[in-house]
Amino acid sequence: MFHTMRIARKYMTLYGIFIKNCLIAQMEFRGNFIMSLLVESVYLLAKLLYVLVVFRTDLHVNGIPPEGLLLFIGMHTVATGMYVGLFFTNFMKIPEYIKDGSLDLMLTKPVSLQFMASLRYVDLALPIPDIVVGFVMISIGWNAMDIPLTFLHFAGFVLLLVVSIVITYCLMIIPALLSFWFVQTGSLFEMAHSVWDANNFPMAIYPAWIRRIGTFVVPLFLITNFGPMFLLGQLSWLYAAMALIGSLLLFVAIRLLWKQAVKGYSSASS
Amino acid sequence: MDSIRVRNLHKSFVYYRKEAGLKNSLKNLFARKSLVKEAVKSVSFDIGLGECVGFLGPNGAGKTTTLKMLSGILYPTSGEADVFGYVPWERKNEFKRLFSIVMGQKNQLWWDLPASESIYLNKCIYDVDDDLYRRSLAELSEMLDVQELLNVQVRRLSLGERMKMELIAALIHRPRLLYLDEPTIGLDFPSQKKVREFLKYYNEQFGATILLTSHYMKDVEDLCKRTIIINEGSLAYDGPFHKINHLFGEQKIIKLQFSEPVAEQQLVRFGRIISGDDYHAVLEVPMYHLKEVSRAMLDVFPIIDWTIEDVSIEESISLLYRKESAV
Repeated sequence: MFHTMRIARKYMTLYGIFIKNCLIAQMEFRGNFIMSLLVESVYLLAKLLYVLVVFRTDLHVNGIPPEGLLLFIGMHTVATGMYVGLFFTNFMKIPEYIKDGSLDLMLTKPVSLQFMASLRYVDLALPIPDIVVGFVMISIGWNAMDIPLTFLHFAGFVLLLVVSIVITYCLMIIPALLSFWFVQTGSLFEMAHSVWDANNFPMAIYPAWIRRIGTFVVPLFLITNFGPMFLLGQLSWLYAAMALIGSLLLFVAIRLLWKQAVKGYSSASS
Repeated sequence: MDSIRVRNLHKSFVYYRKEAGLKNSLKNLFARKSLVKEAVKSVSFDIGLGECVGFLGPNGAGKTTTLKMLSGILYPTSGEADVFGYVPWERKNEFKRLFSIVMGQKNQLWWDLPASESIYLNKCIYDVDDDLYRRSLAELSEMLDVQELLNVQVRRLSLGERMKMELIAALIHRPRLLYLDEPTIGLDFPSQKKVREFLKYYNEQFGATILLTSHYMKDVEDLCKRTIIINEGSLAYDGPFHKINHLFGEQKIIKLQFSEPVAEQQLVRFGRIISGDDYHAVLEVPMYHLKEVSRAMLDVFPIIDWTIEDVSIEESISLLYRKESAV
């Protein structure tokens, strides 16, 4: 127990240093820092146009009014912010590490290679607009739908947010992982990003078979749907527990896949 | 006591060949013929505790592949290795704390940050305690004369300064074993010298075992008493460094430039022709004939310039390898 806690503390310290180093490096290039903020804000603006359409047309999905839909769109925006801030840069770099052999030096360090390679870079500029605006949307939706702000609601929502971050990590790392075998996986990243964008509405808009695949096979819908559904009282405890256990199992599966991938790593010529 | 024990280490890679052109690329899309490259073939050797061994060989000989297997980066196809009691490719954390690998062509420092930040990150990765960290950093940076540069961004440093920082980052946890893959590549002469002196000091001061690959004969000559030569994946020589020098010290290279064309047949009787055209020639001549051959050639040929050099390392190795295969 003591040993596990010591290891956890070490990894947290290292992650703290990663964040600090990224912050120092990003502040070196002020222009790029501001450009990143601008670019993501423009993307966000395009997304907000959806919201405008939803309100103008008074769109109801599965009985949920536009204010309730804001919870889903807000959750998707926050998850997108988390993805671009914590994972995107790392996952895009993994195929590069494999191609140019940078993974070699990381492999010799006495810490988890998966930790080093997939969490080393944190982008602090890109996600700011998404996370801020996303939480604003969730707050507006929360308030407009008269959802009480109790500890249970808050804790449940935060827990499901953590679940969605874990699932985001597990699903979006798959194209990077496949690059251990195929080296170039740009098209898979494209596909993953397209599917990601299809997830900014309640899953009720899709037919039942897509909903089942998106919940049980590739649990993409869990990322955006379960948090808001919990707040709206549409998520049973069974499903909430399944989401929690499912995300942990998915993480274990990805961990095993990673280990398998690294075993076959053939390095690059020097 | 041995720190490294290698038995019949073998590594083969599967690769594909593709002829030039779009048509062949299309063909390749549907049917690929896989080929096998034997990068390391049944290599065996032992390295004692605190020994500094030079690992020589031409490009593609299998030096780096061997180092990568001994540091656990690559799994071998077959064979055994024991490094300080560990099997490297099991990649145990206890093993990783024992060694460091420095590759001249790859860096671990963060480009946009001062080197001190990357060194501190390594301190945390290797759980070096604060006191040892401060002492090591002060000692290493003083030895390499870079105290003033620790807080300068890595991208603003020269190649030599960067390599010194790489060495500090690699040695901050005081590894007992050091793998160095071309550590002086691309460095100017004073930087090469400084790095060599430093490595010698580290080896003597801490009793660290060093396995060094290099293209520069001088690196190996200054640092290593023992040399292992590997060629086309196989061990070609394992013995004292001065003995290779002795083997090839008996040959000299004469480079000639003529004012008028000279036919190849006229040169043959003076030595082995390595290369040449009508106006130039490179000859390999036995040391004990050097004087008379030189005198005779000066009398016979319209020579306008000439130099006498030692046999190059590549040439020595290929000569040695030819000898080995002939036995």
